[in-house]
Amino acid sequence: MALRDFRGVKDRIVRFRALGTTVVVGDNEVGKSSLVEAFGLIFDLPDDSKSTRIKDIQPVGQDVGPEVTAELSLGGRELTYTKRWLKNRSTELTIVEPDGRRQSWTGREAHNEAERLFSQNVDPVLWQTLMVSQGQSLVLPTPADAEPLITAVTAESGTPVDGASMPLVTAVEHEYLRYWTPRGKPTGDFARSAKAVTTAELSAAQALQAMDEVRADIRRAERLNLDLEDVTARLTDHLTGVEELRERKKATDEILLRRDSVRSRAETARARLENHTRTRLDRERLLDEVERFTKYEAELAARRGDAELVARTAAETVQAAEAALAEVVELKDLRRTDVQAAERRVADLMDRAELDRLIGQQTELVDVRARIAAAGTILDRIKVDDAIVAGLEDARAAVVEARAALAAGVPEVTVRRLGAEPVELSGTGLSAAGSPGAVSPGTGSSGTGSSGAGSSGSGRSGAGLDGADGLVPGELGFDETAELLVSGELVVGVPGQLEVTVRAGGEAATLRSRVDDAVRREKDLLKKAGVKDVAAARDLLRKADTATAELNEARRTEKSLTAGGDPGERIAVLTARLGVGEEAEAEETGGKQPAVEGVPGQMSLFEEFASPHDTLFDDFEVPEPEPDDLAGAQRTLDSAREALAEAERLLSDAEFAVAQARKAADEDRSEAQNARARSELAGERLAAAVEELEAARAVLDDDAVAAAETEATAEVEAVLDELTVVQEQVDAAGADQVAGELTHALAVATRLQGERDTLRDALRTTEGRLEQSGRDGLATRRDVAELELAAIRAEHESLARRAEAARRVYETLSRHRAAAQTKYSEPLQSRIESLGRSVYGPSFRVWLDDDLAVAERELDGVRLRVDALSTGAQEQLAIITRLAISHLVSTGEGSVPVIFDDALGWSDKARLRDMGALLGRAGDHGQVIILTCMPDRYEYVPKATFIKLDG
Amino acid sequence: MPRVSVLFAMEKSITFLHSSDWQLGMMRRFLGPDGQARWGQARLDAVARIGTVAERTGAAFVVVTGDVFEHNQVERQTILRACEALKRIPVPVVLLPGNHDALEPGSLWTSSQWQAHAPEHVTVVTGTAPIEIVPGVEIVGAPWRSRRPLSDPAAPGYADLAPVADGTVRILLAHGQLTSLSGGMSEVPTIDQAALEAAVTDGRLQYVGLGDRHSTTQVTDRIWFSGTQEVTSPEEDAPGNVLKVTIGDGIDVEPVRVGAWHMVDHRVELFDAESITALEDWFAELPDKERTYIRLAGDGSLALPLLTRLDTIIDAQGEVFASVERWAKFWTVRPAPDAADLESLQLSGPARAAMEELRQALAGGDEGAGAALSLMHRLARDAG
Repeated sequence: MALRDFRGVKDRIVRFRALGTTVVVGDNEVGKSSLVEAFGLIFDLPDDSKSTRIKDIQPVGQDVGPEVTAELSLGGRELTYTKRWLKNRSTELTIVEPDGRRQSWTGREAHNEAERLFSQNVDPVLWQTLMVSQGQSLVLPTPADAEPLITAVTAESGTPVDGASMPLVTAVEHEYLRYWTPRGKPTGDFARSAKAVTTAELSAAQALQAMDEVRADIRRAERLNLDLEDVTARLTDHLTGVEELRERKKATDEILLRRDSVRSRAETARARLENHTRTRLDRERLLDEVERFTKYEAELAARRGDAELVARTAAETVQAAEAALAEVVELKDLRRTDVQAAERRVADLMDRAELDRLIGQQTELVDVRARIAAAGTILDRIKVDDAIVAGLEDARAAVVEARAALAAGVPEVTVRRLGAEPVELSGTGLSAAGSPGAVSPGTGSSGTGSSGAGSSGSGRSGAGLDGADGLVPGELGFDETAELLVSGELVVGVPGQLEVTVRAGGEAATLRSRVDDAVRREKDLLKKAGVKDVAAARDLLRKADTATAELNEARRTEKSLTAGGDPGERIAVLTARLGVGEEAEAEETGGKQPAVEGVPGQMSLFEEFASPHDTLFDDFEVPEPEPDDLAGAQRTLDSAREALAEAERLLSDAEFAVAQARKAADEDRSEAQNARARSELAGERLAAAVEELEAARAVLDDDAVAAAETEATAEVEAVLDELTVVQEQVDAAGADQVAGELTHALAVATRLQGERDTLRDALRTTEGRLEQSGRDGLATRRDVAELELAAIRAEHESLARRAEAARRVYETLSRHRAAAQTKYSEPLQSRIESLGRSVYGPSFRVWLDDDLAVAERELDGVRLRVDALSTGAQEQLAIITRLAISHLVSTGEGSVPVIFDDALGWSDKARLRDMGALLGRAGDHGQVIILTCMPDRYEYVPKATFIKLDG
Repeated sequence: MPRVSVLFAMEKSITFLHSSDWQLGMMRRFLGPDGQARWGQARLDAVARIGTVAERTGAAFVVVTGDVFEHNQVERQTILRACEALKRIPVPVVLLPGNHDALEPGSLWTSSQWQAHAPEHVTVVTGTAPIEIVPGVEIVGAPWRSRRPLSDPAAPGYADLAPVADGTVRILLAHGQLTSLSGGMSEVPTIDQAALEAAVTDGRLQYVGLGDRHSTTQVTDRIWFSGTQEVTSPEEDAPGNVLKVTIGDGIDVEPVRVGAWHMVDHRVELFDAESITALEDWFAELPDKERTYIRLAGDGSLALPLLTRLDTIIDAQGEVFASVERWAKFWTVRPAPDAADLESLQLSGPARAAMEELRQALAGGDEGAGAALSLMHRLARDAG
């Protein structure tokens, strides 16, 4: 290719290898893509073209003619083709035939010849497929329309060429799509006709339904007509009967009038009879009343006399009861006085007894107080108490303890006089040994005496040996032993012969001092207590305890005796009261007796109380002389109280009797008054009855009354006989039934007329609807609807037949095409897989679609749609597919170039290596041209020719 | 205005026209909208032509024995146009309600539409009372009062009638099938033919005009079905007539054609190009194509090109005639593709295989394959 004044290229010649891989390297904008563009333009556009594509290639601002020269092999011929546009435009073509013949053309002829040759030898689809312009490397080729490829795969697969069928396939598809969507749903006219059928069916059904309703109305109207005729006939018949009844009624009305007249007279006679009967009954009533009131008035007069007598008797009874009550009241007063006297006597006797007791109590009190004084004296003398004795015992113990310590802590010197020579003992701080025994006469053994210096004087030297007290004997008797504790200094001497001085150490002095302190303290305590030793103190303490007990007991007695107050004061009070009481008692006893006296005459008035009162007064006696003892006085008091209670019971009874008598008297008095009133009333009524009877008789005497009634009765019977005769005539004529029958017949006529009117109305309504349906031409509408439905159905069925035929053809043809497709796509598929396995390994597989495009790829058992692959994988697959197509096609008479512009931009280094090797091998079978600004992507392409384009 | 026949007055004879089954408002499924409109008008035109015949023959009146209208609920336009057609009949017209337009509730005859527009010279038989349509002529009729009569629908018209007086002609108008002609298939009571003949024989009736049968039919010399004035179905034998009836000492009944349409059943055997050509010729020779309905019954098998040709012919004739219809019940023409058909298409590869498959399926009795094969043949031919 030679370019001159082409876009940014001033003048450049690039020679590609006819067989092998050429990599054209250059920076952006140096004109790599212009090479491809120039090749297209030289064949597409004549030199006089006005296309903007030509204007676009003219260098900006330069009035020059872009020129391209291409040398190429085409259909076995060698072509040299030069074209310049715009400025000094020209076209030259030189062809060298395989046999060496050379031909040249210029101008339009050259263009035409070149174009002819190009179109004759280059399949445009294949050319576009294999020439990958910049930015198109990702696009997977769909080469099904590339005739050379189809020819190649057909030849390779053995499947015959079917190019002539393609228009039929298109026509079948077109026919199918007239009726069906790609997914097999009705569409277009076919779908519309189906919808139209549904609509027409609905319309027809509605129209049919309307006519069904019309027919129903017709049947209804027919029935209504029949019913109306029937009812009308019945009504007519019935009205005839009504008229007959009316005539009959006219004829019987006269008899009925006569019956009414007799009935009226009968009613009058009956009323008159009732009047006379009433008069008779009134007369009988008056007679009866006079008789009855006369008798009654007499009875009431007798009752009145009895009642008045009873009332008077009752009044007398009340007076008697009241007198008896007065007596009982007096008796009760007397009994109360007796009780009061008995009570006073009892009180006096009780005071006397109390006085005696108090005097004894006072004597005892004096004695007790003397004992208290004696005990107090004793206690005052004794100064020892429990604390002092305890202190003394503690002091004694301290002395013993100190002495024991001394005996243990100082030297013990046992001095025994063996001979006659006196042995003198002197010194300070000496004491007889403690517990071992101070002095043992004779044997010299330890004394068994209990203890204490001076407490036992069995040993000569032992008893009372106490340095402080100078108890250490001044000398020892024969065979006498002195056991001495030396707390100070001991001098044992045989006068004139010997003197031994024993001195105790410092410790001994301390022990001795403690002993001395204890002894001193004990002495002080004894002195304070006024006793000589602890035993004496204890004896005094016991005496004090005895005196204290005596004192306490006496004091308790005193307290008890004075608990109720000073007996002396009470003695004085009682003494004073008894003095007065005795005087009063003497007065009462002398002049007072029960003053109950009998009430002569009173008791006879109220006899029912006579017995108790008799008993009461009979039992009453003059009281006995007052007893001097309290018990007797008490018994007297009890008796008096019982008598008083009895008197009070009597009083209550008497009061009740009075009340009862008064109530009975009131009732009797009231009864008497009533009897008097009733008697008077009966007299008045009797008088009135008599007066009324006399008045009635003055009008009509009793006999006349009876006669009038008899006459009226006869009249009534006569009229009733006449009525019976007339009624028989009415019955014979049936006059009473005629009216009822007529009424009933009129009601039936009314009902029938109502039925007839209802039927007429219903019929009119139905006929009205039918009239309307006639006006609406419903039958015509139904026919039209059915006609339309039939037409639409026929059209739809026709369409359906055609649609079904189209589908059948389409599906049958598609099935066969798919089978064929599978068969003749196999060579391309096999070629792609062969190339791809050199890059991806043996697990690489592909599947092609109807357009022979790669649809799916499988790698390592994973099958994916192409659009699911990565960008790099898609680009690699596109390159592999193009190389495979090139290989397939190149196996024929010629080869075709494969051109990649700016490809493999998405591959990693490992893939670049494998793809580079593949591109290198591709160059062994044809021309591969690679345009790139990234030469390192293709450094692994073996045997590649690199051409560097400079700017 | 009624006019007395001069002939009757002078020669003691009377001429009248008898027609029936106009069924105005009828529609036919097999006619397209255009055909339907023209056919409907033709039925009215035939009524008008009855008027012409009446005038030409000196008929004293016209009787129509039932089914004047297709329904009682026809659209207003039909009634008004019928009234207009009736006006073109210059003599009195007596109309008898039939089963289609029975004198039932909601009847057209009692409707305000009819009564408002009915011409004055038109009488509707609404009862059995005799009608003296012209002096010396008594018309009795038995109108249908329901579509479901319970007994002989003609009997009410002449029951209890005495023989006519001398010089009087009595005509019975009735509607229904005769027992003798119905073949026992009628769903409604039929007319007792023997009773009718007896009534004619004993002089009670001088003529019985019947309706309901669309073909002109002579029952006896005095009992006739006039047939419809215009054909309604290919099955009808002699439709499209009106009867000219002359009663004098004897009776003369003459069918006069007033119809203009044809409805034809045609049966063909189709097996080769010649048979198709013969069919083409048959179509070509038919008169009154625009007023003719063809119902084709066909049998045979045709090669795919012939089948395509046949389809083309029928489609084209359908445009020429009022309607050309394949009679589905009797249409058994099948495609018969042969090897030459397929070769002529020069198909190869999958297309040829697909067509071969369809051909074999058709040979196996697959009807759908036949249509598919025809389509594919046509598409391939057009694509080629």
